[in-house]
Amino acid sequence: MFGKGLLTGMGVTIKHFFGKKETFCYPEEKLPVAEGFRGGNLTMDWRVCIACQLCAMACPNKALELKVVTDAKKKRHMEHYIHKTGRCLFCNLCVEACPVHTLQWDKNFAFSSWNKAAMTHDAVSDADRTDLKELLANIEAKAKAEAAEKAKAAAEAPAAPAKQQADAKGGEA
Amino acid sequence: MKRTETYLLNMGPQHPSTHGVLQVKLTLDGERIQRAEPVLGYLHRGIEKLLESRTYVQGLPYTDRLDYISSMNNNFGFARAVEELARLEVPRRAEFIRVIMAELNRINSHLIGIGTLANDLGASTGMLCCFRDREYILDIFNEVCGARQTFHYIRIGGVSGEFTDKARALTESFLARVPRFLAEYDKLLTGNEIFRRRIVGISPMTPEEALALNMTGPNLRATGVARDLRKIDAYSVYGEFDFDIPVGTHGDNWDRYIVKLREIKESARIIRQALDKMPEGAIMAKVPRVLKPPAGEVYSRTEGTRGELGFYLVSDGTPKPYRVHIRRPSFVNMQGLDLMCRGMLIGDSVSAYSSIDPIMGEVDC
Repeated sequence: MFGKGLLTGMGVTIKHFFGKKETFCYPEEKLPVAEGFRGGNLTMDWRVCIACQLCAMACPNKALELKVVTDAKKKRHMEHYIHKTGRCLFCNLCVEACPVHTLQWDKNFAFSSWNKAAMTHDAVSDADRTDLKELLANIEAKAKAEAAEKAKAAAEAPAAPAKQQADAKGGEA
Repeated sequence: MKRTETYLLNMGPQHPSTHGVLQVKLTLDGERIQRAEPVLGYLHRGIEKLLESRTYVQGLPYTDRLDYISSMNNNFGFARAVEELARLEVPRRAEFIRVIMAELNRINSHLIGIGTLANDLGASTGMLCCFRDREYILDIFNEVCGARQTFHYIRIGGVSGEFTDKARALTESFLARVPRFLAEYDKLLTGNEIFRRRIVGISPMTPEEALALNMTGPNLRATGVARDLRKIDAYSVYGEFDFDIPVGTHGDNWDRYIVKLREIKESARIIRQALDKMPEGAIMAKVPRVLKPPAGEVYSRTEGTRGELGFYLVSDGTPKPYRVHIRRPSFVNMQGLDLMCRGMLIGDSVSAYSSIDPIMGEVDC
């Protein structure tokens, strides 16, 4: 009979009024994201980071722009960790490359923006940078103090053998 | 004096039924189509060249973007090609996980194919049902790799993450759903008279025509040729599973729809067997930190969701491929569009695109 199939189909549709709800109101309700969810911006702790830049090397699309500073003791620190989300493929290669496991996704998937400027994100915040500057200054001061001490010790140390030498020379004479 | 002449109608690239940015120039004789000429290139990103300027490992995420609906299958194809080139042994457990993921993705892709076909013919409920069921597959993918699209899960040498107990439980519960939702589609779409009248006997194709146009995948199988690389090549661990190749008889839109529907069932069968047989062990082979395959060339083919997906790689011994060419099934299947549309009405061209099920990311590459 023509129309039987249509009525059966209607029956399926009507059934959905009484079944379990399949949808939810998105901005108000959010589904929990998975544990390993790849999305949002990259976060990292500059105190843990060893500034090896392996993440930037692993990136297929040059989405990471890093600025590294070297302290007075020749140790590297991350000053700017700029993640360009517009270029990012969210492939996770950078996170997997991190040897100290400090690089993570912040999982905030709703980060679309109106302009291109908002598509870059610095994982090192201004407050972090103030701390970093303080640390660099401390290290430099410490290094200077150490160098001064060393120089003083060095200045005193050669004086003794010189005196001995002079004594020896005097003895010979 | 009365005079008749053909005229040209542009379908797309902004037409909602052209699945992205496909433009088709229809030469019409009244309401009948004389010639359908697809115009490609609106979504061209130069992926082959992008792959040539990146290392093999870095190139893998780009294959996600070829056919963005079946990223797992693309990852699988590229990873297999590189493994063949670099002569890497993949752990057995990883092969099973790969097969499960590829088959889940096949179901996912066919659900979208069926859903969009229904939507293009005006049955929006059918589309919503397919997308609802697809969501359960995306949950599994999200669990194993942390993404719902562009998975980058199947890697060179294995897979990136463990197939957890939670993922197994999700897969089991999805498999339990499969017969239920297939029965629902039968009630909603297969038996629907309007839906049937729009696709039965429309755009038929003979096996000879399909083979001459080099069509593969469900489009070829709908004409009655049981050609499936999972059986012919039995690559990966497909040789260990028992499954059938559904075929059609007339090669019309109806057969293409039915073949996809039956393939969902067969894929579910493969997943069931793979879950039962999955061994314990490593999920990743020992891949050198800097992968430098020896100089040489390889053409590796897998059965993608839309047909034969082939990767041709040439290595010159450096970490980057010298040449990459991708045989994209959607692109080759598009050749059949003209033949399928000839003599049909304008409205039928929509069902022809939908039943070919092209993904423009793959066509334009």
